Amino acid sequence: MSRAGPGELSPAVESDSPEERIAARRLRIAARTEARTRLELGEEAQEQEENTEEPRTSQKQVDQSEKRMIKLQTDGTELVTNILVAADARETKRRAQLAEARTLRNEKLENEAKSSLEKFEEVTQNWPVAKAKEIPQDLRDALKSQQQLCMLITEDKNKLINELQHELKSSDDRYVKELKKQAEDVDLMREKMQEQMTSLMKLYRQELDLIENSFDDERKTLLTSNLKKWEQQRKERSDRELEHLLQRIKQKEENEVLLHRLRVANIKEYNMMKLNLETQSEILQQNIQKTKATNQLNQEKLEYSRHVITHRKMETIHIESLQRKRILRLQDSLKNLKVKCASQEKQAQEENQSLTDGYKRSMLEYKDMQKHLRHFAAVDAERFEEIWLMNENEAKALVHKVLETDRVIYEQFLGLAWAPPHVPFMENSGPIQPQHQAKRTAQQFAMQALGEVEEKREMEGESSTAEVAGLDRRTVKKLLELLCDETGFLIESKLLKLLSPLEKDPQSFIKLHLIFSALGIENEEDVYKMAEFFEKYKQQQKDQPEEGISVSNENELVREMDSELVHPNHVVKALHAFTAQYCRPRDLQSQKQSSVLSLEERDDSEDAAYWESMANVIPESKLKVWNALEDALSKYHTVLTERSKILIDTHHLKQQNAELTALLHQYLSQKGNTELKIPPTLVMQLTSE
Amino acid sequence: MPVMSMSMGKAPAGINPPVKMLNPAADPRKMRRIIAEDPEWSLAVVPSLKNLCLQHIVNHFEEKPILNELLPSQKAFVLEKLPTFLPLSLTANLISDEGYWRRCCEDRWGQRDVSEYDHSWKRMFFERHLENIIELFIPDQTEPKSVLDVVPLCQNYVRRLKITQLLPPIRKPPKFNEDDASESASDLGDDGPSIDHFDFRILLNKLTNLEELQLVYGVRGCGMNFEWNLFEFTFSDCQFLAKALQSCTTLKILKINQSNVDDDKCRTLVSNLLDHPSLLELDLSHNIIGDRGARALGKLLNRSHLKQLDIYDNKIKGPGAQALAHALSKNTPLESLNLRLNQRGDEGGQALAQALLKNCILLNLHLGANELTEPTATALSHMLVHNSTLKRLNLSCNRLGEDGGKAMEEGMSHNSSLLECDIRLTGVRLESEYSIKKHLHTNQAKGRQDTAASR
Repeated sequence: MSRAGPGELSPAVESDSPEERIAARRLRIAARTEARTRLELGEEAQEQEENTEEPRTSQKQVDQSEKRMIKLQTDGTELVTNILVAADARETKRRAQLAEARTLRNEKLENEAKSSLEKFEEVTQNWPVAKAKEIPQDLRDALKSQQQLCMLITEDKNKLINELQHELKSSDDRYVKELKKQAEDVDLMREKMQEQMTSLMKLYRQELDLIENSFDDERKTLLTSNLKKWEQQRKERSDRELEHLLQRIKQKEENEVLLHRLRVANIKEYNMMKLNLETQSEILQQNIQKTKATNQLNQEKLEYSRHVITHRKMETIHIESLQRKRILRLQDSLKNLKVKCASQEKQAQEENQSLTDGYKRSMLEYKDMQKHLRHFAAVDAERFEEIWLMNENEAKALVHKVLETDRVIYEQFLGLAWAPPHVPFMENSGPIQPQHQAKRTAQQFAMQALGEVEEKREMEGESSTAEVAGLDRRTVKKLLELLCDETGFLIESKLLKLLSPLEKDPQSFIKLHLIFSALGIENEEDVYKMAEFFEKYKQQQKDQPEEGISVSNENELVREMDSELVHPNHVVKALHAFTAQYCRPRDLQSQKQSSVLSLEERDDSEDAAYWESMANVIPESKLKVWNALEDALSKYHTVLTERSKILIDTHHLKQQNAELTALLHQYLSQKGNTELKIPPTLVMQLTSE
Repeated sequence: MPVMSMSMGKAPAGINPPVKMLNPAADPRKMRRIIAEDPEWSLAVVPSLKNLCLQHIVNHFEEKPILNELLPSQKAFVLEKLPTFLPLSLTANLISDEGYWRRCCEDRWGQRDVSEYDHSWKRMFFERHLENIIELFIPDQTEPKSVLDVVPLCQNYVRRLKITQLLPPIRKPPKFNEDDASESASDLGDDGPSIDHFDFRILLNKLTNLEELQLVYGVRGCGMNFEWNLFEFTFSDCQFLAKALQSCTTLKILKINQSNVDDDKCRTLVSNLLDHPSLLELDLSHNIIGDRGARALGKLLNRSHLKQLDIYDNKIKGPGAQALAHALSKNTPLESLNLRLNQRGDEGGQALAQALLKNCILLNLHLGANELTEPTATALSHMLVHNSTLKRLNLSCNRLGEDGGKAMEEGMSHNSSLLECDIRLTGVRLESEYSIKKHLHTNQAKGRQDTAASR
């Protein structure tokens, strides 16, 4: 921020926001560096131009000197290596000489060896001759000659040795010479190398000077030309500047005049403006006063509202604290409640447990009870039947009796022909069934249905239920056949195998039997229900739009079939729906039925009638007859009783009579009687008379 | 305070006496702040405490080497002042400053050319140090430990070993008393097994950076004490060396000069150098290798990466040269072959020229002083027409004769790749020599232009 002072080139640098200032400074730095690089680049470009121009003048010199130097170098190296080559040549020559000398020496040695061997042989040959000699003089001569020969050999050898030693010495000398020569060579080589070095250095320096001179010349020429150019341009520039200066002076004068004019105009304008502004300021001051007043008012209002707000705030704080307390309290209570709830839950669970236990127990009891109940029911039913049978027998006996009596009455008393009345219940035995007609089982029905058509036609008349359902037996048959074909999956595969040898009808019958057992269809009604359901289902299917073109095509093919019955493909679906809809409630029903079968099925309504009918064997008219007859008979009875009484009386009397006669007789027959002036017999005879 | 500073300023740079002993009042000169009569005296001469501390570090560097913890400027100061006789075990891995090692080198060997050592004074110091130790190693007397102790210190810095002598073991003194003839005879008989030199097996596998090895199995500057067995390169020496070379996988350049390497030794060396992973240059010059050795070298050429082979001044004759030519014809990576001062003769020369017809890698060929004559020259001229890789050819000191010169001239006229051809002392006529040189000049100019263009 403190550096804002020096950077005053652009207005942005003096701006208020620091970011803008930083940006402005950055721009400035970038511009400066750019300018600097541009300058340098320009110089470089100039240099490059010079470089490209140079070869024409100095390259030649460089090339020339390079060539010269290379030539000199090669010459120098040749000079130096000449020594090496010479030494090599000498060495080879020496080696050749050595080899030659060696061969010569070898030859000489061989020759010498040969000659000495010859001589030695001569000596050895002479020895036996010498031995043969016996004269001492001869022997001495021989020995002398031998000695001489030996001397000769040794002389030869010594000569050779001397020669060889001489040669050795000479070769030693030669070696020393060689060493010296080599040392000289080395010195020479060193000298030459040094010489070459110095000369090369000198020459290099010369060449360098030459090149430098050429470069200098070039530079000088370039400098002078550049200077000239520079001068010229400077002159041009100063001229131009002078021109500009004059122009500017002129312009300045013009501008001054213009300025003066403008100033005068501006002063006028300024005065006007001042007046205007003053008036405006007055107005504005008034406005200020007004606004101040309103402000005061507003301030007061605001003060008041602030008071109110603070007051409210206090209140709210108070309320808040209260609420907080309450929250705490409520939380406490919540906790308590939670605890209580938990305990209660536990309790409830326990209770639940106990209750479920109780429930289970009661269920067990209930089951027991049911078992008992069923048992009792069965017992009751048995007893009921027994009683029934007993009573019925009794009643029947009575009826028989009555009828017999009736017949007797009719035949014997009334002398009428007795026609036995219609008494159907007489055939009956046991408790009567409320349903007169037991339902045929589904199997039977199916058997029927699958039977011949003629048979069915006959049956048609009979089975009113089928017609009530609005279903044709044919459709039922078709349906059953369809079921037979389509729901083979319900039958076990083993069974199917077993069934295969059978004929079609029995086979399908057994199949149907199995299918019905699987579907839970028990009786005819169910079969009809199913048929009905299928009909409905078909209608539903029709109502629905065709699912797809492929299905429609298929539909056309089986239109005939479809018109009558459900499409085979939909049979399973339909069956499924059917079982879902019907079988479940029926299952429940059946369960219930089975559980209270013996109790519920008893229907008392018929019983009364039954017994009534039994009671009413004798109709009212007959009763009247009977009543009349009774009356008559009772009268007759009374008469008869009277008569019987009388009969008894007579009987008694007869008895009394007999007794009396007996007694009489006795009297009569008694001995005293005889004694008696008049015997009883005579009395008797007299009475009878 | 000024008294203190003055007293410290005047303290000798070496050993500081204890403070109590100093009595500044004793020397009136030390009590003065300005010494007008001494023109060299100034306050600036008084060393600062920092410098004194550094000086102390320098003085006790041996006991407590503190260097890497210092600031760069202080480090420079310390390094400048450190004595050069510090034990190597301390300085070898601690100091990497070139200035210090330069002082070490100059103190030990005087002015030397460091450009041979990649301008690394440290490398120069350690290489020369190790060379000195090995050159002065006397078998059976010097402990091998003295060499092995130095190895861990210098193994990181040594790249080249230029060993100019290897001392034989010292023989029993009584032998010197006998006269020369009997001595030389008995020496050969008695000391056969015990004149082995330094065993390189213990050293070479530890120098992990070694790239160049130069050996001379001989004694330098023996003067009048010359004996033949001072220059004996024994067979066991050769075996040890060969084993050691096999273990040194970083080696690039091997030079064994003036060591009496004969055919058998050459063969053992070669058999151990076969398939060496890095060897590029082999120099066996100034030895006595014959044809069998040359054959072994030919085998080595085919089974290594050698780029340069120098076997000048040996005894290779026609058959050996033929073996080498056979190896060359299989396009080995060899670029330079020097056969100077051998006795190959025309047989070998022709074989070599024919091999070069197929070879397109060899750049330099030196056939100087090889007893070549006219038939070789014709074969070579034929080769020159077809070969376009050979740059330098040296035929000096061979008796090519005038006809051979003409043949060469003709061959050169069809060649555009040869840059140098040395035919001095070959008996060639001046005209043909001149024309050959002219051709060479044109070739050279072309080569220069090519290099300039490529640049």
